[in-house]
Amino acid sequence: MPNTEVITHDVIIVGAGLAGSWAAMVAAREGVKDVAVLSKIHPLRSHSGAAQGGIAAALNNVRPVPDTGPRGPLEQIPPGDAPVDSWELHMFDTIKGSDWLGDQDAIELMVKDAIDIIYEYEHLGCVFSRTPDGRIAQRRFGGHSAPRANFAADWTGHVLLHTAYEQAIENDVKFYSEWYAMDLIVEDNICRGVVAIDILTGEIHTMRAKAVLFGTGGYGRAFKITSNAFANTGDGVAIAYDAGVPLMDMEFVQFHPTGLYNHGILMSEACRGEGGYLTNKDGDRFMEKYAPDKMELAPRDLVSRSEQTEINEGRGIGEDGQGIYLDMRHLGREKILERLPQVRELAIDFVGVDPIDAPVPIQPTAHYSMGGIPTDNNCRVMADAEGNLVTGFYAAGEVSCVSVHGANRLGTNSLLDASVFGRRAGYAIAEFVNNGAKLQPISGDPAERNRKRVQKLMDNPGTENVEDVAQELKTTMTDNCGIYRSEEGLKQALQDVKSLQKRFKNAKVMDKSSRFNTDLLAALEAEHLLDFSETIVVGALNRTESRGAHSRTDYPKRDDEDWLKHTVAHKGEDGAPVISYRDVNIDWEKYPPQERKY
Amino acid sequence: MSQNGNTRTVTVRIQRFNPDKDKKPYMQDFQVQMTPDTTVLDALHDIKTHQDGSVTYRKSCRHAICGSCAMHINGRNTLACNTPMRNEVDKKGRVTIGPLPYLPIFKDLVVDRSSFWEQYLRVKPWLAPPAHVPEKEFRVSPAEVKALNDAETCIMCGACYSSCQVIALNKKYIGPHALLKAFLRVLDPRDTIPGERLEDLAKSDGVYRCHTIFNCIDACPKNLNPTEAIETLRKLAQRRLKVEEQRQERQKHLDEPVS
Repeated sequence: MPNTEVITHDVIIVGAGLAGSWAAMVAAREGVKDVAVLSKIHPLRSHSGAAQGGIAAALNNVRPVPDTGPRGPLEQIPPGDAPVDSWELHMFDTIKGSDWLGDQDAIELMVKDAIDIIYEYEHLGCVFSRTPDGRIAQRRFGGHSAPRANFAADWTGHVLLHTAYEQAIENDVKFYSEWYAMDLIVEDNICRGVVAIDILTGEIHTMRAKAVLFGTGGYGRAFKITSNAFANTGDGVAIAYDAGVPLMDMEFVQFHPTGLYNHGILMSEACRGEGGYLTNKDGDRFMEKYAPDKMELAPRDLVSRSEQTEINEGRGIGEDGQGIYLDMRHLGREKILERLPQVRELAIDFVGVDPIDAPVPIQPTAHYSMGGIPTDNNCRVMADAEGNLVTGFYAAGEVSCVSVHGANRLGTNSLLDASVFGRRAGYAIAEFVNNGAKLQPISGDPAERNRKRVQKLMDNPGTENVEDVAQELKTTMTDNCGIYRSEEGLKQALQDVKSLQKRFKNAKVMDKSSRFNTDLLAALEAEHLLDFSETIVVGALNRTESRGAHSRTDYPKRDDEDWLKHTVAHKGEDGAPVISYRDVNIDWEKYPPQERKY
Repeated sequence: MSQNGNTRTVTVRIQRFNPDKDKKPYMQDFQVQMTPDTTVLDALHDIKTHQDGSVTYRKSCRHAICGSCAMHINGRNTLACNTPMRNEVDKKGRVTIGPLPYLPIFKDLVVDRSSFWEQYLRVKPWLAPPAHVPEKEFRVSPAEVKALNDAETCIMCGACYSSCQVIALNKKYIGPHALLKAFLRVLDPRDTIPGERLEDLAKSDGVYRCHTIFNCIDACPKNLNPTEAIETLRKLAQRRLKVEEQRQERQKHLDEPVS
């Protein structure tokens, strides 16, 4: 492959979802002249756009109709009436949802910024659903003690993404669409740029910048049944890890309770927020047993575990008994068409069931990555468990671990996290660049190194099918590192991951051309999955307790004495993760750990 | 994919073309196993991962929200991800897949959407908001939002654009996708420049180019109606000054309850 020019920008942002688009828009708006965004798919195809149900903020636009109980209808709050919600309440719900592993200083920033950023979205043109008097509409969501999910029907992420992208273009951000970042350049703890492939031509470029932000999304594709897009292969996590940056709390993976049976495609939590039931094969609303107060609107970790218990005890539905019913019939045709039109179409298209007429078969689906690249509250990436920083490197959104979600994220807090911390990153980067940050020299030729790596992969005659290796990984991750985990299963998973890493060395790339080679990209993505999955398994194996989404059958209790701490994983010299731990930021006066009941 | 005994073998005929080595596009047949659940995207994935890794197409969300996988399936434009194979297999046991028509081909089913995105940018897809911003949200009625819903769920997949007979002949035409986006902004009570937008849309490559052939409606995988939006824009363009005036009046009340 030919040598290529070195490309230079003030700021390079990798990933064009909400975090990346906000960071780019704000950095440009704050006076940084030369902001570029790379995305392996067109920006408007980013997975932020797939979010459905809402974005959390205590706006106090609606309340439960008085005297109708916790599941009664909602109404707009009449002018002058008392508020029902506050950022403090949102903060407590998020801390409790996180099973006390969330950093409370970061959570406070997020829930306070929440209110302001929803109004900013609205002022920038986002089309939200509305209350009768014209305020932004709100609905209930799991684990939230007030109706604070601000929404646009069931395509909330879509309208937020379009708004953020449009604003980034208007602020003259340059987009490299269908460019794939494959390496991060860090020397002496200073980030100097990235290496990326122009997918169309296959050319590999060194791209230098004063600041780099990763907003590359999550790693749900490491699991067999997932709601995540094909694109969510945790590239950013893997690239950073390879460059010596640590990963934090990787063992915390959220399984969403309602993925379409056999497909994993998301049926929004709004289905339950609007009043949908979960039933087992006997027709029982089994959540009565597990969360008598919150029922179907308990947090996702608890609901998914309850479903899995029903399934494991033989009360599942479907051919293989691995499903559960999501029953929305009682909501009525009108409400389903107005509030949940898109999920209705998904159910019809993929499982042939119209929720108006019949219960929808669903099952838990790998959905959200709580773990990721550790950052401080201004999105600056940490170099170690002590909190030292990598100069010039930022991360925001699902790829990052601030940590606002701790051991379990509440629904509607992900769009919020990506937006709030994307915006904070934009301000932080602008300050860094405007205060005179310089392009840093790069030793050697990173593009050439990566050209050789690609050439080696392409030239390898190989006998291993990339997809088969990836599928085997996903199977062991789901079976042995899924909703319920045990030492025995995790040891099996670790052995499998290591053996698959070896087998991948013999991987075969079938497409030998340079133009738009998605076969090569799939191989690089599979390599990334194999790389970071080891940190998920090792983190889970070490953590001998159950907390949030990490549930050990052999250690069923939370253990604050030993495990109220973040797992930090560095890549060791032999390639295996080296683990250290970091304290959780807790306000012991206001929000000390409590038993978590719903 | 579930295995419930209903597996059968069908032929997927794919248009192949790599401009670096092929003089012109050609068709290639692949055999795949399908069940009643298999989508066209599942079939393509099976071919790519286990038969020929050089078969190239775009994909991402696989549930009809990202807009990546629009292609030409059995003679019509649609998304591969939510199209079941069972509805597409013809009497000969075959499904035929090509790239979106009328666009340059990068490789196989991957087309160059540059003109599509240029037109999207041309209509200034962002809101031009009022200078005065309230402390909370602008007040917009549920009815006003409902009118916008018909445009805001567009996923920019290009199925309409590449089915449009006007686009086929003239890439200067703004096109159904961008006109739908323009409709969204023109009708938004918060937008301050509906008159300026309508003036641009009324130019020779704008709303009057549409021949109302309705291909865009047939092609849209989200069941949107760009033709109707274009007709509305034509009517509004004819009374542009009135629209401007009404908007200015509406914007005096943007921070007041609508009911």
